Amino acid sequence: MRQRSLIAITAALAAGALTLTACGSRDEDGGSDSGSGGTTVTIGVDAPLTGDLSALGLGIKNSADLAAKTANKEKVVDGVTFKVEALDDQAQPSSGQQNATKFVADKNVLGVVGPLNSSVAESMQKVFDDAKLVEVSPANTNPALTQGTDWQTSKARPYKSYFRTSTTDAIQGPFAAQYVYNDSKKKKVFVIDDKKTYGAGLAATFTDEFKKLGGTVVGTEHINPDTKDFSAVATKVKNSGADVVYYGGEYPQAGPLSKQIKAAGAKVPLVGGDGIYSADFIKLAGASGGGDLATSVGAPVEELASAKEFVANYKNAGYKEAYEAYGGYSYDSTWAIIEAVKKVVEDNDGKLPDDARAQVAAAMQGVSFDGVTGKVSFDEYGDATNKQLTVYAVENGDWKAVKSGTYTG
Amino acid sequence: MSGVGPVEPGEGTRAWDTDEPGAPPPPRRSRERLALWYSLHRRAALTTATAAVLLAGGGYLYATRPQEPPPPAAPYPAQVVDVTYLEQVATPMGVRPRTFSFAVVLSVASGPPVTVTRIAQPYAGVSVTSAPQAPFPTKAGSSRKIVVTMRVTDCGKTPKSAGLPFLDVTLRNSRAIQVQSYILGARYAQDLSEALQVACSNDTG
Repeated sequence: MRQRSLIAITAALAAGALTLTACGSRDEDGGSDSGSGGTTVTIGVDAPLTGDLSALGLGIKNSADLAAKTANKEKVVDGVTFKVEALDDQAQPSSGQQNATKFVADKNVLGVVGPLNSSVAESMQKVFDDAKLVEVSPANTNPALTQGTDWQTSKARPYKSYFRTSTTDAIQGPFAAQYVYNDSKKKKVFVIDDKKTYGAGLAATFTDEFKKLGGTVVGTEHINPDTKDFSAVATKVKNSGADVVYYGGEYPQAGPLSKQIKAAGAKVPLVGGDGIYSADFIKLAGASGGGDLATSVGAPVEELASAKEFVANYKNAGYKEAYEAYGGYSYDSTWAIIEAVKKVVEDNDGKLPDDARAQVAAAMQGVSFDGVTGKVSFDEYGDATNKQLTVYAVENGDWKAVKSGTYTG
Repeated sequence: MSGVGPVEPGEGTRAWDTDEPGAPPPPRRSRERLALWYSLHRRAALTTATAAVLLAGGGYLYATRPQEPPPPAAPYPAQVVDVTYLEQVATPMGVRPRTFSFAVVLSVASGPPVTVTRIAQPYAGVSVTSAPQAPFPTKAGSSRKIVVTMRVTDCGKTPKSAGLPFLDVTLRNSRAIQVQSYILGARYAQDLSEALQVACSNDTG
């Protein structure tokens, strides 16, 4: 009798404990490990992971990784675990093309995020398109990648498998020109570029708009991105009487260029695009870089609640490198691939079809979600429909947003 | 002694199982007392234990209940407002020469009402008015047509042609006041360029 009663108490306590344990599990993560069975889908990442531009590249890689981990944790696609595989293109088109070939050869790769550089993208697009492997760049801004080389007169999409979440230089260059001419009241510009696809293209769209506004181009120069001695160009800027310098290129050259122009005696701001919007630019430009300007894709992070969440999650994930200018866009690019995979799996009774790559590429056109950088979807050219951009100025050793715009044309 | 018998008690020792006459009864071992108490109050004990478990479980559930997330902060106005170009429209009667008008549509996607407090454009030689006149509010989920009328005040300070012109719209909601540039696209650029040329050719001609 006594034993029966003790058993009853023990049973009651055990039931209570089990109840508590069960209650406790509702707040847990639901398992982020890949051992849950099902299919593993690889999302490739191509970016410069070493070299001068690695700050931006590593931010892209880490942000893609965060998106994949989040999707696994939240079991966004039932039965599918996402894995990120990153390859280093060293900002070189030839390396990018080799990486594209490697990704194509791996049948588990259903989408690729990247690259950073428009010149690298040019070398990868056809490789991916032939394999119907979707590519979503978080950073390419050259208009020709989506709208064809004659984009100014007749737009024609060259590759159906190529998409991007960033806006283009067709908007970025003119927006910068309007800010420089109308807001900063600068009328004489010296235009410099690094002869690369991105830099030369951006400088061209800036120059075109600046002239239309009534501004004067008092000099142009091309620099060699492999050197860091720009003293000859700096002297030309000084002698030109320019009241502003526009640079089409990236921060590893833009920082020293800004510093050397000021050192030569031309106390004029250097203005660039998203390629110089990096904390490393401020370090390289030094104290005299105060007042330099950069346009970058997207709205300022502090305006977007979704971006704040991304920033917090990125920090909690413990990545060593900053997410930099394209972190949010990389997360959204990765998430777009995840959404496309989800659509394909759901439409195929919960399994990946045999022609998954082609179907994912097709599904990407219809993807639409609220991402880190706002609403994410793509137009008929594969360009982001969300076309916001912001002008930043270097103030007290940091970038500060000074004007934001939205393209609604 | 063979050593197998009990050791005789020495001084100060006594057998544990014998009560000495007159000595108080030794305290019962606590397990025995608990068992005795339990045998007498079994139902009460079970009820109390069950109640305690339920109370603890309930308390835990209450303490860890899913919290309603705090209401999200209102979005920044620029993130919920869209301004798109509609067409060139006839200039309202009674305005001065060298003026032209465009219609745009402003829509608010979500959040609290957004008030347009100012509409401007970047060229120094052009002034802007609007109908309705700012400030005017627009509720979430609705849109309104705005006629923007521009007057050329100085042809020397207007662009020869507009590549990618924009309107600067000052927006206010309960979250923030922002000036957002709306780049209205190629059709607006073309219409604006033509209107500027006409306005300034009349001036010189």
